[in-house]
Amino acid sequence: MAAAAVYSNPGFDFSNLTRNNFLAEKGIPLPKATSTGTTIVGCIFEDGIILGADTRATEGPIVADKNCEKIHYITESIRCCGAGTAADTEFVTNLISSNMELHGLTHGRKPRVVTAMTMLKQYLFRYQGHVGAALVLGGVDSTGPNLFTIAPHGSTDKLPYVTMGSGSLAAMAVFESYWRPNMSRADALQLVKDAISAGIFNDLGSGSNVDACIITANHTEMLRNVEMPNERVQKERSYVFRKGTTAWKKEDIKKLVLSEEVTPISGEAMDTD
Amino acid sequence: MDRIDMHRLKQGEVNLGTSIMAVQFDGGVVIGADSRTTTGSYIANRVTDKLTFLHDRIYCCRSGSAADTQAIADFGHYYLQMQAQVLGSAPSVLTAAAIMEKMCYQNKDQLSAGIIVAGWDEKAGPSVYNIPLGGGLFRQPWAIGGSGSTYVYGYCDATYQEGWGKDETVNFVKNTLALAMSRDGSSGGCIRMCVITKDGVERKFIPGDQLPRFWEGKEILGEATQKPPAAISAVSDVAPMAVEV
Amino acid sequence: MSIMEYNGGSVIAMVGKDCVAIASDLRLGNQALGISSNFQKIFPVTDRIYLGLPGLATDVTTLRETFRYRVNMYTIKEEREIEPETFAHLVSSTLYERRFGPYFIEPVMAGLSRSATGGFKPFIAATDLIGCLNFAKDFVVAGTASSKLYGVAEGLWEPDLDPEQLFETISQTMLNAVDRDAYSGWGVVVHVIEKDKVTTRTLKGRMD
Repeated sequence: MAAAAVYSNPGFDFSNLTRNNFLAEKGIPLPKATSTGTTIVGCIFEDGIILGADTRATEGPIVADKNCEKIHYITESIRCCGAGTAADTEFVTNLISSNMELHGLTHGRKPRVVTAMTMLKQYLFRYQGHVGAALVLGGVDSTGPNLFTIAPHGSTDKLPYVTMGSGSLAAMAVFESYWRPNMSRADALQLVKDAISAGIFNDLGSGSNVDACIITANHTEMLRNVEMPNERVQKERSYVFRKGTTAWKKEDIKKLVLSEEVTPISGEAMDTD
Repeated sequence: MDRIDMHRLKQGEVNLGTSIMAVQFDGGVVIGADSRTTTGSYIANRVTDKLTFLHDRIYCCRSGSAADTQAIADFGHYYLQMQAQVLGSAPSVLTAAAIMEKMCYQNKDQLSAGIIVAGWDEKAGPSVYNIPLGGGLFRQPWAIGGSGSTYVYGYCDATYQEGWGKDETVNFVKNTLALAMSRDGSSGGCIRMCVITKDGVERKFIPGDQLPRFWEGKEILGEATQKPPAAISAVSDVAPMAVEV
Repeated sequence: MSIMEYNGGSVIAMVGKDCVAIASDLRLGNQALGISSNFQKIFPVTDRIYLGLPGLATDVTTLRETFRYRVNMYTIKEEREIEPETFAHLVSSTLYERRFGPYFIEPVMAGLSRSATGGFKPFIAATDLIGCLNFAKDFVVAGTASSKLYGVAEGLWEPDLDPEQLFETISQTMLNAVDRDAYSGWGVVVHVIEKDKVTTRTLKGRMD
């Protein structure tokens, strides 16, 4: 097993805990991790599922990323929106995506949405809410369209329309007013756009653009930035500094090899067949 | 029975601030629950199904942390499935209740779960088992649980009688839950019920606008309380909001 | 006081036309007391990848060695140099491994990645202290002056800057942001990475 140990052992490494707890005891708080104070939604329509998300990532009061992706890939016909601690949503969906691929390979058929849901809830329950991922899981499988929410402690809900994240109240207000059973594809997409927009404009933790993902029995369409209501206006003037504006004390230029030509010295090349 | 201690729930944990109930009658059991799931003051799910399948004739009613009770119920479901395969016959309600109690007791420091297990089996017929917060297994003719239950103990004590049939029992559960839901802020929505007998499981659903209603102060407040306000629809014929008396 | 302010320091990376730049301050402090004015926080990973590690100085040293080890192991096993995208994921996983006992570092990466046609594509990325990747198309910042750097960079950066313009933009962004941050400063170093050369310049800045 020497080869495996070359990289690292699987699972989390807690060896910095003693030091960090010592610092915490002295009253030094842990710096904030990137969180997706988010609006994420999902709803069932006549032939599948539509998922939606905003694209703002925050670090306390700072917007860390103005156009991040919150709809994560699980399998071709299952996707998952993530809210909460950004790193956790990213890694937990990656892990389950990888396990779903292996699950499909070992059993020789497409894994179902409930399988992903069970994997996620059991993983999150094991970490008792310390892995801070709040998810909206949706997809279409052999049993039809499926939509779930998964809370950080590992509880799940199965509903025809769901919202999560800090903007969930704004988005749910839209769903509760306008969602109807068996909506058409166009109507459902517009509803998801409206729900996310409600989050973008009314919740400080959500912002920028709308992402959507339409999943039907035999096709998945990822609509990245379907709506861009907050595009920056063109700068009227350029602020490029003239060359030599900045004074420097020392300069070091390192030349890099761009391409190399190999000339064989002996007559014949080695026979590699 | 212990009340659900809200402070035991972790920050942001999803809570089933609940009203749940199970009553035994001659031919079977009636179980029921409200449908509200909350995170703080937000209703995360207004049509929750807290009546959870454990085996063909055994169900449980869940109260406390949603994550904890789902995990326990999932494990109970798995365990009973294995047991049924090994024994080649349906497990008894006592077996189901005992394994659920074991989970609740052995992990009492980390769990907040109050569960009622009820069902029908060949040996004992209909039975109801109550598993309160830290564990413990109590067979009762009727059991109530969750934060809403504290409001209706007196009603149950005064109303319950032995020898009821199915319809009387269903009505008792329906009325008790409606009373609990009207008093408890973290219970509400609609009522879900299951009638479990030898012959099968029959589900019943009472929508939120058709709950049994009791004295609401009409004599004092006048006609304003007589009708629930009509649901506002998205269609054009929205009537102007009535001014309350 | 946050842990990040214990030693101070800031890093920024920017994208230009066929080039990238990464800059840091040179201060090492013990809270308000300045200790060194030549504390390097940016390290070369390969010829065309540079890594900035602002945060707690002890973790700067530890992580520099960890990444040197892991990149060397990668190079030996794969018999090729690591690509910036791959390296970004290596950084991310290394930090997430310590999700529940993190290093107090917010890494910033800049480099040129080889495209399928053999050309070079600018690449920058940053992560938070538990490894959440942020692939930006314009600029990434981290450290005690990050809030100021965001503001200045948002105003000064524009697309398709040539290497000389990019040097001026990143230098002015850094110098002006750092002047308004008590925990960063004491000199600035800038690296501009092009396909055929890397230019490293130490800037003249305020020493107070």
